[in-house]
Amino acid sequence: MWSCEAEDAGVDELFAVLGYKVKSSDMAEVAQKIEQLEEVMGSVQQDGLSQLASETVHYNPSDLSSWLESMISGLNPMPEFDSSSDPFLESSTITTIDNGSSVNSRAQMVADSDFGSDLISIPGKAIYPRTQPPAPPPQPQPQPQQQQQPPAKKPKTLSYLGNSVANLQSERVFARPVESTRSVVLVDSQENGIRLVHTLMACAEAVQQENFKLAEALVKNVGFLAVSQAGAMRKVATYFAEALARRIYRLYPTNPQDPAFTDLLQMHFYETCPYLKFAHFTANQAILEAFAGKNRVHVIDFSMKQGMQWPALLQALALRPGGPPSFRLTGIGPPSNDNTDHLQEVGWKLAKFAETINVEFEYRGFVATSLADLNAAMFDIREGETVAVNSIFELHQLLARPGAIEKVLQVVRELKPEILTVVEQEANHNGNVFLERFTESLHYYSTLFDSLESCGAGNCDALVSDQDKVMSEVYLGRQICNVVACEGVDRIERHETLTQWRVRFGSAGFGPVHLGSNAYKQASMLLALFAGGDGYRVEENNGCLMLGWHTRTLIATSAWKLS
Amino acid sequence: MVQLNEIVDNAKAEKRAKFCINDHMDVLIEILKRLDDRSIGVAACVCRLWCALTRNDALWEHLCFRHLSPPPQGVRTVVVALGGYRRLYTVCVKPVLSRLEKMRAGGAAEWERRVWTRHEVELSLSLFCVDYYERVLLGGGGGGRVSGDAAAPSSLMFLCKAVNV
Repeated sequence: MWSCEAEDAGVDELFAVLGYKVKSSDMAEVAQKIEQLEEVMGSVQQDGLSQLASETVHYNPSDLSSWLESMISGLNPMPEFDSSSDPFLESSTITTIDNGSSVNSRAQMVADSDFGSDLISIPGKAIYPRTQPPAPPPQPQPQPQQQQQPPAKKPKTLSYLGNSVANLQSERVFARPVESTRSVVLVDSQENGIRLVHTLMACAEAVQQENFKLAEALVKNVGFLAVSQAGAMRKVATYFAEALARRIYRLYPTNPQDPAFTDLLQMHFYETCPYLKFAHFTANQAILEAFAGKNRVHVIDFSMKQGMQWPALLQALALRPGGPPSFRLTGIGPPSNDNTDHLQEVGWKLAKFAETINVEFEYRGFVATSLADLNAAMFDIREGETVAVNSIFELHQLLARPGAIEKVLQVVRELKPEILTVVEQEANHNGNVFLERFTESLHYYSTLFDSLESCGAGNCDALVSDQDKVMSEVYLGRQICNVVACEGVDRIERHETLTQWRVRFGSAGFGPVHLGSNAYKQASMLLALFAGGDGYRVEENNGCLMLGWHTRTLIATSAWKLS
Repeated sequence: MVQLNEIVDNAKAEKRAKFCINDHMDVLIEILKRLDDRSIGVAACVCRLWCALTRNDALWEHLCFRHLSPPPQGVRTVVVALGGYRRLYTVCVKPVLSRLEKMRAGGAAEWERRVWTRHEVELSLSLFCVDYYERVLLGGGGGGRVSGDAAAPSSLMFLCKAVNV
């Protein structure tokens, strides 16, 4: 009796009449929380309110202050998951870790998880206070948590990745069982973006530690969070989530992929953004300069595809002072699934083109599953021929098999080329530790997708059609899948940085050739033509040219000769 | 007085009647050579003779390279083979120049512009080749593409849609 009275002392009388206990001292706070709740409920994107009516733990709604808190935090949950169908939930659950919060009286569910402790809350801002009292209380969420204020808002272009990744700490806490399901209601995409990244990282860490149950749960979460984003981030997150899911469920993507389809995707990628064009133009410039004064030239192309690189080189050779040399091209390509001789077709088209501009042209195509299957004798190098070897985004695939890259470089040495032009992605996606690879590729592809976004926007009538953009995204998505989900021989997207390639080429007996200022100027001009022109940057790095988006370099062109 | 005015008017009318620019094609061509692309388009609508003259590729060659000194050698055979100067101008040179012009809004010196123009033209030529290759040989590029405007090549989509003069 006495304790009861003591509790009820100081309670607002008007509210008490309605059945709610609100301390008079708390009134202002309660009012603010009501506003927050309205705001949060109003901005729920999905039909989240129905989830409030599902099975939840019942809390005494008459203690208005704490109930409001639980409502608000329930509507702004930390990454949780729909555990209704997961059998493993009987033993453990996942939630966030409290950091010195004051209202800790509720049952806290903490779990065996590696969640970072700096996961942030979403404070509902009272933008438009409403005057009506809260609705008759639906079942509140059972998950009251007090979280920290978010750090300064980071820009949407995922540049905060660097900071948030650094902050991620792993803490081990003990698990407590939870009885009910919880569901995710999403509000305020800015913080959700940061959450998304955290969840992705946590999932990757779980995979790294082979904690697949946790990873499974997190991956589903990512799916939810990704939907709340827009633009580049959503797409990147979706692709990475898919790749992680494949890894977890062991549904590895089929390899080898249909080369015709890959070619098609690459064509669209070629058209939407400047990376491939940059690669082709800078490599061509280097080859053109190496061929100065030579009358019989032979180009060996490891990355034949549709032969888009060669018309421009042929034209430049046709117009050079002294006239064109006699030109021979050998193209290497993968075997095609249907019976068409794709390489020969491309060769024929190039021959027609060369004929149009009066350049003596000869072509030969080689089908090879891997570049390591080639040997120098195949190429039939003739006396007095100047040889150039060209490889655009091909060499990194050899790193999947031990010894392959050394063999290929040895073969190239035997060809005695005047120049070897190499274009590769500037990233280290070949580390031994999965988590490192994951983090690196997340940065890399986020930047790449960012730049794609700018390609579509900008100029007049959306000339870069959505179809092209989507195809380019699929093209990149496949790479993401390969980096994240595959292992061993199947993982062919083993990108390495220019520094690493320099070491490789150096030890294989090649010395660098500096790409001249012509290449730099042409590249700069080419980039200026693109819609997102200001975002792209050309840099010169010890004679190599690197193309990047804002502060991040993405691809690097380098040229080599026998030393 | 009135008579004097009449005489003057008559003289003028006679003079007017005698001189017709269409009789002096070399002068006409000289004039048309100095126009910009839009004016050439307008001129093409005047009469059949003017229309025929404006379709002469030499006019467009001049338009492409008039800022270039000396004009590049041997380009003509290549360009003609790949579709002609008019196409080169509308599809490549004009968008390239206008785009880069915007970038250089900070007022570069005239001589500097000359140096850059050569590179610009080289770039335009390269892109023109890519365009030809894609359009003619790869058959519209990519496969499964809906190309409403046959003159808009796929790989050069990032340039402004050119007005076909």
